[in-house]
Amino acid sequence: MRLKKCTAALLALGMALSLAACGAQPAESAPAAAPAATEAPATPETTETEKAAEPAEEAGEGAVVLDPDGQFYAEVPAAAETVYPVTLTDQAGREVTLEAEPQTLVSGYYISTSLLVALGQQDKLVGIEAKADTRPIYARSAPELLELPSVGTAKEFDLEGCAALDPDLVVLPLKLESAVEPLEALGIDVLLVDPEDQERLNAAAALLGTATNAQDRANELLAFTEMQQGRLTGLLAGAERPTVYLAGNSDFLSTAGGGMYQSGMIELAGGENVAADITEDYWATVSYEQILAWDPEYIVLASDAGYTVGDVLADPNLAGCTAVENGHVLQIPGDAEAWDSPVPGGILGSVWLSGALHPELAIDGENMEIINDFYETFYGFTYQEF
Amino acid sequence: MTSMRRFMASPTRNSKALCLAGTALLAALAFFSLFCGKYPLTLSGLLGGDAMQWRVFWTLRFSRTAVGVIGGFALGVAGFVYQTVFRNPLASPDVIGVSSGASAGAAAGILFLSGAAAVTAAAFAGALAAVCLALALSSLDRSGRRSTIVLAGIAVHSLAQTALMALKLTADPERELASIEYWIMGSLNGISGYAVGGNLALCAVCAAALFALHRQILLLSAEEGEAKLLGVSVGRLRLAVLGAATLAVACVVSLSGLISFIGLLAPHGARLLTRRNGPGTMLLGGLLGGALLVGADILARTAAATELPVSIFTSLLGAPFLIYLIARGRRDV
Repeated sequence: MRLKKCTAALLALGMALSLAACGAQPAESAPAAAPAATEAPATPETTETEKAAEPAEEAGEGAVVLDPDGQFYAEVPAAAETVYPVTLTDQAGREVTLEAEPQTLVSGYYISTSLLVALGQQDKLVGIEAKADTRPIYARSAPELLELPSVGTAKEFDLEGCAALDPDLVVLPLKLESAVEPLEALGIDVLLVDPEDQERLNAAAALLGTATNAQDRANELLAFTEMQQGRLTGLLAGAERPTVYLAGNSDFLSTAGGGMYQSGMIELAGGENVAADITEDYWATVSYEQILAWDPEYIVLASDAGYTVGDVLADPNLAGCTAVENGHVLQIPGDAEAWDSPVPGGILGSVWLSGALHPELAIDGENMEIINDFYETFYGFTYQEF
Repeated sequence: MTSMRRFMASPTRNSKALCLAGTALLAALAFFSLFCGKYPLTLSGLLGGDAMQWRVFWTLRFSRTAVGVIGGFALGVAGFVYQTVFRNPLASPDVIGVSSGASAGAAAGILFLSGAAAVTAAAFAGALAAVCLALALSSLDRSGRRSTIVLAGIAVHSLAQTALMALKLTADPERELASIEYWIMGSLNGISGYAVGGNLALCAVCAAALFALHRQILLLSAEEGEAKLLGVSVGRLRLAVLGAATLAVACVVSLSGLISFIGLLAPHGARLLTRRNGPGTMLLGGLLGGALLVGADILARTAAATELPVSIFTSLLGAPFLIYLIARGRRDV
């Protein structure tokens, strides 16, 4: 991996500090952007080339720097081992003390399961959420997960089934908060996570990294995300920003307003979300008229859309829309996982989209390399094999 | 027989004036609806022959308005027919399961078919299946009791609800379940000129048939003995009238999803205004239904940056109107 060739000592320090903080008293520092603690300007690299330091400053994160070749890189710190017993504050603000390193895990949410796989913890999982067979990433990276007992869905959690597995630690999404008390009464530790956007996903990665004594992997994951954010921000700083309509999973007329994760994905990829003014934090319904009035240059379909690019191109109601006229209708690939959701590899949605929205930069090949690197590093398979 | 004379009374000057006022209101709202929406249509653009503006106007704005006018009218008239035939002030299309049949059909369409037109067709098939089943079940009872059809309707309604629940359970929560929920909330959004023609034509035919049968409909509300004395074949006529009313409703809800309150409220409003139960009241019920749906739809598409379910506004506009009419009636007495 070329990305890891160089070093940036302060990034390392910043991350190690903030992750350690996560372990100790994450109430303040957990939601966080672990690499925020960055007094980076002292690095020789950044002082050497002013040009190089600029994009990083614009992005507001000193952690990512450019080397003289213009290549982005970030370094992964040698993280501290978690010392048990450790007291953690989870994403519901609860304090949980783990007496020893958990040897058996249950995850009740696909994002936390996927996160635990990225942290190299798949062998410790003894139970996961239902419908695991709908997640291609499990089949490719850890097919043994498909054989595990299901503990139900976020709607209907199987409390008894979970307790029967007698795990050392249960990781649940915030919406299953009601299951905490009965599990704790049975002497099972529970951590609640809330990975609903990039920042909270980072915090969840740091939390689970510390809890499972996999801080090094968590740091690597956070560094990867950080590095891609910096790379895209730098690459696209001066580029034109085409307008994008993001069509949702359930219906072409549902879209992501400015407050949604998907909107951030478009912005980072150098596009402008036409629905950014809509403030709803869930899928919002709009009309054909509204889309024609916005007249987006690109129409991007969500990964799990129940309709196809062909359907959109053939929709007579969209005749005359710039994106349709130019054939600029694309779907976010979902071969591994839905990149338009805050999964550990969610940043790849922006990476992929940046190439599609900016053919003038000819970065598709480079992007594919990054995507391959990611899956090889964290999930042990090559994306292109799909 | 005095009651019969009251039912069969011809439209009075009062109800004629009210119908004229209702027509004017509906026309004004429809005109406003044509020129209100998210796409910036301009008179100069339309007159100048701007192709894009014409396309938006005809395929989106005009068809949406047409569905509002005709659909609201049909719901109002159908509500009047149900209430009259069943002699039950709470009767509405739900009574014989048409709405829940349409919902179950739409849900099946969302799960197993693709495309908006397919969902409309599935909803229509579901509504029709529910009605046929309800009417067939009720025809098993040869005594001709009015309550039989209501009971059959309730049975079909629960059956359709069960089917809907089973379909929702198997639906993918991110994708299909969201579509089903949104469909059930009802909206004129997404309606376009490419898909509405057949439904609206059938709906108009049914409404016309109901007006042609208006005398018989009023007779059906009389005591059965009286109706028989007048030579009306009660059972068959009731089936025909309910069939036409329900078909009209099925045409509308398969396009729009469920729209609450209009079928119940519009006829009551008309009755409270005219204080009688003649053909003029039936017409006024239709006009009020159309005005309510078009008005609610204007709000649904302009009140927020996003499209809102139309039923929120039919209830929001309708409930105070009904309360006002009730209060006014009491004061006059």
